[in-house]
Amino acid sequence: MHHHHHHPHVSSPHATQKRLKFCINDHIDILIEILKRLDGRSLGVAACVCRLWCTIARNDSLWEDLCFRHVSPPPSGVRAVVVALGGYKRLYMVCVRPVLSRLGRRLRLGDSDRVGRVWTRDEVQLSLSLFCVDYYERLGRLGGGGGGSGGGGGGGDTSAASLMFLCKPVNV
Amino acid sequence: MVPYDSDGLAGSAPSSSSSITKPPQIDGLLAGAGYKVPSSELRHVAQRLERLETAMLNSASHQLSLLASDAVLYNPSDLSTWVDSLLSELNQSQPLPSLPSDLSDLVPNSTALDSSWGMEHSLSQQQNQNISQHQQNQLMVVTALEEDSAIRLVHMLMTCAESVQRGELALAASLIENMQGLLTRVNTGCGIGKVAGYFINALSRRIFAPAGSISGVGSCYTYENELLYHHYYEACPYLKFAHFTANQAILEAFEGHDCVHVVDFNLMHGLQWPALIQALALRPGGPPLLRLTGIGPPSSDGRDSLREIGLRLADLARSVNVRFAFRGVAAARLEDVKPWMLQVNPKEAVAVNSIMQLHKLLASDPTRNPAIDIVLNWIRNLNLKIMTAVEQEADHNQSGFLDRFTEALYYYSTMFDSLEACAHHPEKVLAEMYIQREICNVVSCEGSARVERHEPLAKWRTRLTGAGFRPLHLGSNAFKQASMLLTLFSSEGYSVEENEGCLTLGWHSRPLIAASAWQAVPDVEPALGVIDNNGVVL
Repeated sequence: MHHHHHHPHVSSPHATQKRLKFCINDHIDILIEILKRLDGRSLGVAACVCRLWCTIARNDSLWEDLCFRHVSPPPSGVRAVVVALGGYKRLYMVCVRPVLSRLGRRLRLGDSDRVGRVWTRDEVQLSLSLFCVDYYERLGRLGGGGGGSGGGGGGGDTSAASLMFLCKPVNV
Repeated sequence: MVPYDSDGLAGSAPSSSSSITKPPQIDGLLAGAGYKVPSSELRHVAQRLERLETAMLNSASHQLSLLASDAVLYNPSDLSTWVDSLLSELNQSQPLPSLPSDLSDLVPNSTALDSSWGMEHSLSQQQNQNISQHQQNQLMVVTALEEDSAIRLVHMLMTCAESVQRGELALAASLIENMQGLLTRVNTGCGIGKVAGYFINALSRRIFAPAGSISGVGSCYTYENELLYHHYYEACPYLKFAHFTANQAILEAFEGHDCVHVVDFNLMHGLQWPALIQALALRPGGPPLLRLTGIGPPSSDGRDSLREIGLRLADLARSVNVRFAFRGVAAARLEDVKPWMLQVNPKEAVAVNSIMQLHKLLASDPTRNPAIDIVLNWIRNLNLKIMTAVEQEADHNQSGFLDRFTEALYYYSTMFDSLEACAHHPEKVLAEMYIQREICNVVSCEGSARVERHEPLAKWRTRLTGAGFRPLHLGSNAFKQASMLLTLFSSEGYSVEENEGCLTLGWHSRPLIAASAWQAVPDVEPALGVIDNNGVVL
């Protein structure tokens, strides 16, 4: 992967040399700290930069930060539950992002969820509950029988049928 | 489209099939706008207006200015003549188009519809011609026809229901035929056409099927029922609202208890319980031991569906570290369940959860005690912490058939409207089938077969307080959660309202489903002597 360099305006070749030597990929801890502070969309984009970034971005703890960044303190015991139900990245993709964007759009017209939107404990709870329903429905599909299978509402593996309403665009 | 009420049309549907000479009816809707147009000329006028529009679009500018200065309508009662005169002034060179050929097959045989529908007579005199243009215009004319037909359809439905109530089955049968003819002229894909179709179907079952052959819910339909229920759950928010609201109430009631037992009157796929299990897992102080008893119909195909659902829920509970035990109770009817089957432990807190089940107990059998009283009685004595009841907010248990029918027509029209506004779901049609079954049961069944005996919240309040329960107010948490849930749906017509501590979910301020919570009033023992339930002093 090539790193795109802007030619610095400083004339001294020494300074240029020093700048060229720094490569973020050599400093993974800094990279992680930066990625931790990104919003969801940027994190997704970052995952497309290179294989290293992709691996790092897949780390569930990054997504955990994303989910509960603005809820403090994060409710205890949540991690075990979320991990058991499919992990934070999935929680974000399937529940948190649609919930935030829909509710955010309603409450604050114009603000995107990039602008440090604080979400409430209630929204957290609701997302977790919906996430649990999603897990349960997937259980039913994989396990076969029990109904809920057979064409499953056209949803792919990424979302359970009953959560499809969260994935549709909103006519606000 | 909610059916127009009868104020829209002057004159009502005639109830006799003998030939009638009627004074020319003035179309009521246009009369409201100040134009007096006889109903028989409506089609003619619509057509001419369209031609006028086409002519105006195609005409040269000098003709238009002429039109603009001369076109003053002096006599509103003669709209058709005025339009004709305008048309002739514009002097079209193209041949006068008459009815597009597509519409010609909408012209009914004049024998099928009796003379009471005067419009059709003038229509049958039109000639068919092939028209190459007017694609858009066709649509406009069809819409005018449609609305007209839709209104007539509703009127005929009411008339038919009334004749059924009066026992005039022959008349009802002929009305069914007429309505089926009218249906071809209406868009049955959506709106009033679709709802009318279902009601016509239900009425015809009632009229044409021999008595007693319509069973309510047969055990052979278990798998089908579950499938339809699942799609109903997915396609619209009513069941989700029910589940989340009930769960919130149960969660709050279980605070501080370490052994809890939930009795679900209709387990189905157990979709309500994952959210409760998760909430219990995360509650401060750790999760309790959760027992779930799921009641459901026995499966006919050898699968033990109750057990399968139980296993799935146990799997989930294990993943989130909640101690869980499941028990299934298979019973064809809720009144067959006896309290000993539930094996309630005296130390545990019990919650009874009934999602649209209590109304099925309202069929009254004169030879026995009403089932509802028996069941409510043993619920009370179960060491009950909370009973959550969600019911349809409608009065479908009235004794008069016509009243029931009318109420059902409005209720289900509203529900179908709300369904249409939901995000398009590929299997929405299955959700509609679920609703259709309810309609069929309300309209075409009687006696013990009619299980969909919905009653409104006010009646349930009276009944439950009389049976020894007192209401538990659903808190603001439940309301907030319900509102949030609603916001997640794409359509904006849903509304959550609070009604004396109960929550209702409705479409455009018509409540369709009501959720309430109850606890048992402890029996009061008087200081002097003990009086048992029958009023006898022991």
